[in-house]
Amino acid sequence: MTNAVLTGLVLGGMYALIAMGLTLQYGVARIMNLAYGEFLIGSAFASYFLFTGWAVNPLVGLIVIVPVSFVVSFLLYKIFLTPLVRRARTRDALEVDSILATFGLMFIVQGILLTMFGGAYFSYSFLAIPVTVVGEVLAMNRLVAFALAVVLGTVLYLLLTRTRIGTSIRAVAVDPASAPLVAINVPQLSALAFAAGGALVASAGVLISMFLTFSATSGVVFTMKALIVVVMGGIGNLMGCLVAGMLLGLSEALVATYIDPGLTIAVNFALFLGVLLVRPAGIFGRGGR
Amino acid sequence: MLEVSGINVSFGQHRALSDAALSVSRGELVVILGANGAGKSSLLKAIAGLVKCGPGKRVTLDGRDLSALPAHLIVEDGLALVPEGRGVFGELTVAENLLMGANPKRARAIEAEQRDKVLTLFPRLGERLKQMVRTMSGGEQQMVAIGRALMSNPELLLLDEPSLGLSPLLVKELFAAIGSIRETGMGVLMVEQNARESLRIADRGYVIANGRVTGSGSAAELQSDDSVRRAYLGGVT
Ligand SMILES: Nc1ncnc2c1ncn2[C@@H]1O[C@H](COP(=O)(O)OP(=O)(O)O)[C@@H](O)[C@H]1O
Ligand SMILES: [Mg+2]
Repeated sequence: MTNAVLTGLVLGGMYALIAMGLTLQYGVARIMNLAYGEFLIGSAFASYFLFTGWAVNPLVGLIVIVPVSFVVSFLLYKIFLTPLVRRARTRDALEVDSILATFGLMFIVQGILLTMFGGAYFSYSFLAIPVTVVGEVLAMNRLVAFALAVVLGTVLYLLLTRTRIGTSIRAVAVDPASAPLVAINVPQLSALAFAAGGALVASAGVLISMFLTFSATSGVVFTMKALIVVVMGGIGNLMGCLVAGMLLGLSEALVATYIDPGLTIAVNFALFLGVLLVRPAGIFGRGGR
Repeated sequence: MLEVSGINVSFGQHRALSDAALSVSRGELVVILGANGAGKSSLLKAIAGLVKCGPGKRVTLDGRDLSALPAHLIVEDGLALVPEGRGVFGELTVAENLLMGANPKRARAIEAEQRDKVLTLFPRLGERLKQMVRTMSGGEQQMVAIGRALMSNPELLLLDEPSLGLSPLLVKELFAAIGSIRETGMGVLMVEQNARESLRIADRGYVIANGRVTGSGSAAELQSDDSVRRAYLGGVT
């Protein structure tokens, strides 16, 4: 039991972190990024490459990979997505356009990864040291990943709730039409939020690569889970990401341990549907904090 | 200090404004009267850079040309709009809405001072700083909207039907507050359905009908003008 809960917490922390990035891209920049999971896998491969090829510690790798993903995401928004934003007459139109555009992007990134690495599963052994936590043995890499996810999530939360720029980002999430009235440059801030989402998903990719196996085609699973968590928690809502992410991680771990690992996806969707039936706007509703 | 001319606004085939023009001097309270659909909101939005205008638009504030600026830079330049329906951030707290109001660079240095002024003007906001704006009454949300606009340290305040949906008592309170804003030397340009109350505190007014400015004059002139009385003051004195 304890082991399943610990596994679930670690997994849940990862899901929460992944979802926070997507909620920035979707809730603030209004881009439904179907290639989101590909950025996670791309970062996982980058970390693998740095670790196995250059013996770079993944925690040091973070310092390189996260800023690179930030810049790549920023340019992606400025160059490829801004024309869509300009053209879209309504938010719904932008959503449809962005889904189509990023669907294509997903195949491009996946194709590149497939040519570089093939379809095989990859993993590397970093900090695979057993440690005992409340009487259960857990790998050190999971604990480190969890701790970093907590730190990153907390920093993001404080940035968004305690600073002027963070509050501006939330203002755009809740009411983009009114944001210009308080001197907010909405296109500029959207690009920033999109890039921040890219940085977050890259950090999640590196952390996950430390303890999970991954392949060039595993991105879509993460996109799907991120989307479930974001919608479950309430679009644009960070606390919602945390709670829904933990719920998802715990339920997956418990079901895999006590019922059948093959049922985790089914449980994902059962939970998702359950929350949406009871609270259509997500656990915490839209926007806010 | 505000000079506006040549405002043309169309929504598809529909012409909402034709060659509208007006001006507001420093410390002056100017009211815009007109029936529903006359184009009053479109005019304020055009000045604030929120709707696309046809050719000929000219907006200057103290001689600075704002005609081609996007909305977020117009606020930076000292012109703040409180839109119809308020446009507050409902999911943010009162304090956060006021913080957002102080986003322009011109507001930063005197933010604390300006906040004190706003909380003196609307003491109720001071008691509710941590409250989510969505959960407040219409009158309180209007105070947040005006307070947020004042936080930007504007030279000119545009108000679009601030009294909409408020009780008569609150309207009196609100107009008293607007009157005292003008006393500080700030210009105020206000669209109002409540012609009687607004002309009482205004210096001058314009009348808009079918997208054209059809009349203007001092508040006293408008109050005694027969057509204005028939249309907007219910025919009684
Ligand atoms: N976004 C819009 N799309 C289409 N028509 C609009 C839009 N906004 C305003 N209109 C039309 O323009 C005219 C003027 O509207 P408005 O400026 O809101 O009038 P007022 O504020 O005086 O009631 C109305 O006929 C209205 O229906
Ligand atoms: Mg109107």
